[in-house]
Amino acid sequence: METYGVVVIGAGPGGYPAAIRAAQLGASVALVEKEEFGGTCLNWGCIPTKTLIASSDLYAQIQSAGRMGLKVTGASFDYAAMVARKDQVVGTLRNGVKQLLAANGVKVFQGTASLLTRNRLMVAPASGQATFLGAEKTIIATGATSAMPNFLPRQARVVESRAFLDLKAVPSTVLVLGGGIIGCEFACLLAQLNVKVTVVELLEDIIWGLDADVRRELRRHMEKALGIRILTGKTLENIAADDQGVRGTVGAEKVEAEMLLAALGRQPVTEGLRLESAGLSTNSKGFIEVDEYGRTQVATIYAIGDVTGGVQLAHAATSQGLVAAENACGRPLRKNEKIIPSCIFTNPEIGVVGLSEQEAQQAGKAVITGKFMFAALGKALAAGHPQGFVKWIADAATDQLLGAAAVGSHATELIAEAAAVIRAELTGTELGHTIHAHPTLAEIWMEAAHALEGEPIHSAPRKKK
Amino acid sequence: MVRPITLPKLGQSEEEGKIVKWRKREGDAVAKGDILFEIETDKAVLEVESYFEGTLLKIVVPEGQTVPIQSLVGFMGNPGEPIPEVKQPAPPPPKVEAAPPAAPAPVREVTRPAAPRPVARELSVSPAPAPPAAPPAPTLFRISPRAARLAKASGIDPAPISGTGPLGRVVEADVKAYLTAKGYDRLRITPAAKGLAIKEGIDVFSLQGTGEGGRVAVADVERAIAEKPKPMSKMRQIIAQRLTHSYTTQPHFFVTVAVDMTDLVAFRAELKAKGAAYTVTDFILEAVTLALTELPTVNSSTDGKTVRWHSKVQLGLAVALEQGLVVPVIRNADDLTLAEIHERATELTAKARAGKLTSDEMTGSTFTISNMGMLDVENFTAIINPGEGAILAVSSTLKTPVVKDDKIAIRSIMKMTLSSDHRLIDGALAARFVNAIKQKLEEISLWRRMV
Repeated sequence: METYGVVVIGAGPGGYPAAIRAAQLGASVALVEKEEFGGTCLNWGCIPTKTLIASSDLYAQIQSAGRMGLKVTGASFDYAAMVARKDQVVGTLRNGVKQLLAANGVKVFQGTASLLTRNRLMVAPASGQATFLGAEKTIIATGATSAMPNFLPRQARVVESRAFLDLKAVPSTVLVLGGGIIGCEFACLLAQLNVKVTVVELLEDIIWGLDADVRRELRRHMEKALGIRILTGKTLENIAADDQGVRGTVGAEKVEAEMLLAALGRQPVTEGLRLESAGLSTNSKGFIEVDEYGRTQVATIYAIGDVTGGVQLAHAATSQGLVAAENACGRPLRKNEKIIPSCIFTNPEIGVVGLSEQEAQQAGKAVITGKFMFAALGKALAAGHPQGFVKWIADAATDQLLGAAAVGSHATELIAEAAAVIRAELTGTELGHTIHAHPTLAEIWMEAAHALEGEPIHSAPRKKK
Repeated sequence: MVRPITLPKLGQSEEEGKIVKWRKREGDAVAKGDILFEIETDKAVLEVESYFEGTLLKIVVPEGQTVPIQSLVGFMGNPGEPIPEVKQPAPPPPKVEAAPPAAPAPVREVTRPAAPRPVARELSVSPAPAPPAAPPAPTLFRISPRAARLAKASGIDPAPISGTGPLGRVVEADVKAYLTAKGYDRLRITPAAKGLAIKEGIDVFSLQGTGEGGRVAVADVERAIAEKPKPMSKMRQIIAQRLTHSYTTQPHFFVTVAVDMTDLVAFRAELKAKGAAYTVTDFILEAVTLALTELPTVNSSTDGKTVRWHSKVQLGLAVALEQGLVVPVIRNADDLTLAEIHERATELTAKARAGKLTSDEMTGSTFTISNMGMLDVENFTAIINPGEGAILAVSSTLKTPVVKDDKIAIRSIMKMTLSSDHRLIDGALAARFVNAIKQKLEEISLWRRMV
């Protein structure tokens, strides 16, 4: 039996950077993966959806090219080719991960890991002999998977996001159950490919928890421009599926579609890990709880990413993976997770970081906001993206920038500046004094900072109340 | 240039300090950061370091002498420089309670807040005929409006700055020199944190940074704000005054007994089953009342010269509230039956918790009981209520292995500690008193007669 300094279970965006970091720090590292390198993010999440969204965005732009003075006729799409391109992008990145791991001397094991004791584990490949590994330190990075609750019929037309990505043809009508981030991203992607989409969400609005202003802007565009039907505060009942399609009722109304996409949140993956053999347990929701160093109840075992609950984002997992690797290698480091930007690839795009207006108010702060519309920004109009806005959330007492939200074209890129600014604890005045290049979309942060002080240059002053 | 060295302000309340040791002798070279001398205050011995380089030219205040803060204690400069003539500063004047009268002066006078740490003061003086002696009123702090504005905008406390203006007034240049000397430019602080510190009047030099590379973040300033001394509530101030007065003027003497409550607890349960809901406190109140009637000396008080005996038992019962403690009084407890005591105690406790006690109901007690039985404590001592001779501290009733009839038995034991004013109550009396209470509580036949 070979013994490693650090054994990482799961090669997703948390696990593989943890393995590389531990190797950089001089540890002998083994990485166990039961499926594909890159995890959910690279194979069935961020990357494949963004690849398809890039195609659907371009298609939507071409269709509206007339607005820009272009004549394009006969534009159409080949969904199978789009999926093939997605597979190729994913394949390229996956190989990149493998090469990085090899270059850093990480030993890779393919199979399902089970803990035998706190320092020993077994890797069982799909076929063939199991391998036994000794581990001084273990980092659990097994991630999460889409929830498929029992009330959903088990039928080929009822799928979650991962299975949906492997479809070779796009259905003409889709019922999206769950108006969270994943549900809304898919709804927008499909609507741009002329699919008739209905979203059913139990809560009062889509993407609950998002800044209310931003939600309103997104919902209006999804409904008005993309023609998506959004039913909120309602449940989908009497769900039935057969070879013809999927049917159900929302209140008194009957709804049906060719397919149902379940986007009902994600569940931690701990099956087969045999946590109890190492003295570990999960909390009531099935997550492995960790402290601010990424440590579990067992001193030599760390856990990171989706399997620990908390913020379920690839970049959060990466950050946690690096922290856990440092700690596993004897270099104490705390998680620094106060400022985690979050990007939503709907149409329009959304980026948020720090506190929302509502959260800041709940924290007992006197809150001021500064909002600026893309419609008043030269570059946004020139580029043909006049929709949306950005918004600063600041502490009225100190002028400290507490949070930011952006909705509109390139919002997911624009949010990076806000993250750095909030982490550095800059004030609205200072950001307003920071020269931003003209003409750019990023200028909007400066304009919004001026609006915070109630003195925007490029919009009419608000009427005094 | 000859620079005077003055005695720094060391803390909130110190007005004078004693130089216990000079670490440097006249003629010694002094580097920046070297310890010049040690001073002693009521609280501690502290080291004072030099802020500049030079030679210790003269020691004005010798070891062992106490002088007001800000007094001139010595001179530094280059060897051979002429030293201004100075008179030895007078020993500190007797302390006056009243604040010094504010003189209509063209300078701003503010009360000096605490300095963050002891530092030697730097004063640039020209060798003028007038000796730069310590200012006559050392607690006055003179600062020009411009200097004050710069200090405020920089988020610093100007108190440690020594002024080069007339009468030692701090001018803008002094603040600038101070900022440079303290390395203000190298201070790592986030903009929002600095803004908050300025707004809240927190000296940025006093902040401990916990951000990356020791950078001061908003959270650090918020911690400093939370740590700022805040005035106590009026209630707590009165408590503080009374407790300090009692504990420092009445010599406390303590005696503890362990009471076997097993039978009484069972008796109480028996009564409860019958619908008579007495509390353990009720029995203690009654037992104490009886003991005070038997040993009336305990129901007295003294001012150190006279003894005053109280013919009636006015029984105080300490009630803990969220913001502090109140002591309602059961009037003429010696005239009341157990049932009446229960009624009064219940009523007063409820009123106390509701904050509805009148001041009449809280004054005039002659003996007090403090019961921490619900708070799971083994034993404690209480401080005598001013104007009384003793107080009884009642602790929790805990299952305890004890020797009973030469066998180990598990019994419900409650400890009581009497704090008595030893000027009035001798040890033997205190012992008899607590044992009288103990006896009553352990004698169930007594209680059976009463209910």
